[in-house]
Amino acid sequence: MSQYENVIMLPQTNQLKCLYTIIRDRNTRRGDFIFYSDRIIRLLVEEGLNQLPVESCQIQTPLGVAYDGHKFQGKICGVSIIRAGESMEQGLRDCCRSVRLGKILIQRDEETATPKLFYVKLPEDIPERYVFLLDPLLATGGSASMAVDVLLEKGVKEERILFLNVLASPEGIEVFKKKFPKIKVITGMIDQALDEKKFVVPGLGDFGDRYYCI
Amino acid sequence: MSPLSSQPPSKSATHTDLQANKYIPPWTSPYIIGVAGFSGSGKTTVAQKIIEQINEPWTVLLSMDNFYKPLTPEQRELAYRNERKKTQVPVYSFALHNRTEEKISIYGANVIIVEGIYSLYDPKVLALMDTKIYVDTDLDICYSRRLLRDIVERKRDIEGIIEQWEKFVKPSSVASVKPTMYNADIVIPHGSDNTKAIDMIIKHIRKQLQKKSEEHLAHLARLGRMVAPINYNNIKVLPKTNQLLGMKSIILNRETSNDDFIFYFDRIASTLISEALELVHYSPAPNDIFTPSGYRITDGVVQAQEVVAVNIIKSGDCFMRSLRKIIPEAIVGKVLIQSDSQTGEPQLHTERLPQFSPGCKVLLFDAQVISGAAATMAVKVILDHGVEESEIVLVVYLASETGLRRILNAFPNVKVVVGNLSAVEPKEGQDNDTDWWMSMRFIDARYFGTD
Repeated sequence: MSQYENVIMLPQTNQLKCLYTIIRDRNTRRGDFIFYSDRIIRLLVEEGLNQLPVESCQIQTPLGVAYDGHKFQGKICGVSIIRAGESMEQGLRDCCRSVRLGKILIQRDEETATPKLFYVKLPEDIPERYVFLLDPLLATGGSASMAVDVLLEKGVKEERILFLNVLASPEGIEVFKKKFPKIKVITGMIDQALDEKKFVVPGLGDFGDRYYCI
Repeated sequence: MSPLSSQPPSKSATHTDLQANKYIPPWTSPYIIGVAGFSGSGKTTVAQKIIEQINEPWTVLLSMDNFYKPLTPEQRELAYRNERKKTQVPVYSFALHNRTEEKISIYGANVIIVEGIYSLYDPKVLALMDTKIYVDTDLDICYSRRLLRDIVERKRDIEGIIEQWEKFVKPSSVASVKPTMYNADIVIPHGSDNTKAIDMIIKHIRKQLQKKSEEHLAHLARLGRMVAPINYNNIKVLPKTNQLLGMKSIILNRETSNDDFIFYFDRIASTLISEALELVHYSPAPNDIFTPSGYRITDGVVQAQEVVAVNIIKSGDCFMRSLRKIIPEAIVGKVLIQSDSQTGEPQLHTERLPQFSPGCKVLLFDAQVISGAAATMAVKVILDHGVEESEIVLVVYLASETGLRRILNAFPNVKVVVGNLSAVEPKEGQDNDTDWWMSMRFIDARYFGTD
């Protein structure tokens, strides 16, 4: 799916490119930005859920005939990195109605670009769950790495973390590949690079601002 | 009555077409009955009795009264043949002595009854008719009926009626209407009171309609059986991902609650719609765009085609919620096609389709394709409304290979997006481990809670 073995990238179809053209455009207003981002997020969630295992089971069909089917295995939860990550919660709940949602607040120091942890709230039984870590932009990977450290500390298994983002930088992916090789990064598109301000190029601006404020 | 300028179609042509690899819906060769007779002879009553007795909703009564100011020959031929497109027929008002603004649209008629004093007059129209009836009622009786009707229903004054009768109606009836009796297959003496004759005619028509319905079914069966391999290039089957496998089990499980059924079907529908939207035309963005950080993007992509949805009621309606989430403003057309409970023949009950913009993509939704007959008919209806065959995408969750073969044999350029495709032949009432659903429509019943 991509040149990185730790990354699953959505198929780069014309439809997807069209969605990205809209959300990258600075003239796109918030309503459309939210609508089209949500569509991409939905595709990411479906792709993420497909990484989860199923087990065989037998079911009874309406005609009373047994059918060799499958059922979902394992419990999941979402963990969003405040604030932009919260924009992906609804997309997850569109597929998993009452999924538990943890939150982590990490602020990036604008001058040093180093992240700092402020707040953590996670479900008690998180060690038994698959975790969908949500953050729409993977730039330097600094805050996301810190969030993963928090999860690992709480007892989550590394191979049970799926990191979902709308847009990723090659640098961020390399960081994850090195630090957490067992984590699957699920992204919609990989951009060219980071600029001197550590923003993704060409990127789409500040996702949280565009989703919530501007 | 100006004669038709173009040649009438020959009825026998349809039989050779039936052999071909082509779907011919019943309305392509409607059963046409002509009813003529003097003014006041009881033509309308006879026609109405026939309609009542054959009791098919897709019967159209074309009153020649409505053509008092003749249509152009092209319009008229369309009105009779009703072959390709929806036809608008004007309505003549006797009270106003003129055509009204009102128009009746005719589409998909299986039986057309042409009723009017001159309906057995034009040889080109006669050539189109399957049964020609002349209602032979004594001129005096006609006159007395006419007097009553014109005063009560058509609000004319008595002097005018008498003058019109003596000057125009009576002479022209004798000179031009009476001779058309020799064009009839059946002459009914004593008009509409002759119940025995009318009963016989109805029996005959019923028999002919049954033959027509059998031909339609046999033709559909042939389309499904054809040995030519189906063109898989036109069929996109969703990959068997873990989520789709798990959701299929939820959909097939009888223990699944209504809540879960609806929720998971909506999820599947979203995936199917996304897949279908891959078939929409996209083009490079006409202008460069800029991101908020000021970076230029030169390889933007924009959607180059409008997407219109058509639902087959009601199983296609199961896709609506998901469609509204993905394309909130999509135009939605609907067709109601039901299979006759006895013969299984698909019948078009109603079509409410929008004006399709040129070059638009049409997504045709049906939750299940079993025999494929309804979808085949729906595709034909959409084509008749001017959509390109290659721009139609059938979106379906469960489909049998036979059903898809039938559709694609008839319409090889239609695209199909399907969740699950089953290769086993459907057998009526027979259970099969995985493919029992091929003989049972259940998705819409469970989705809407009407099982």
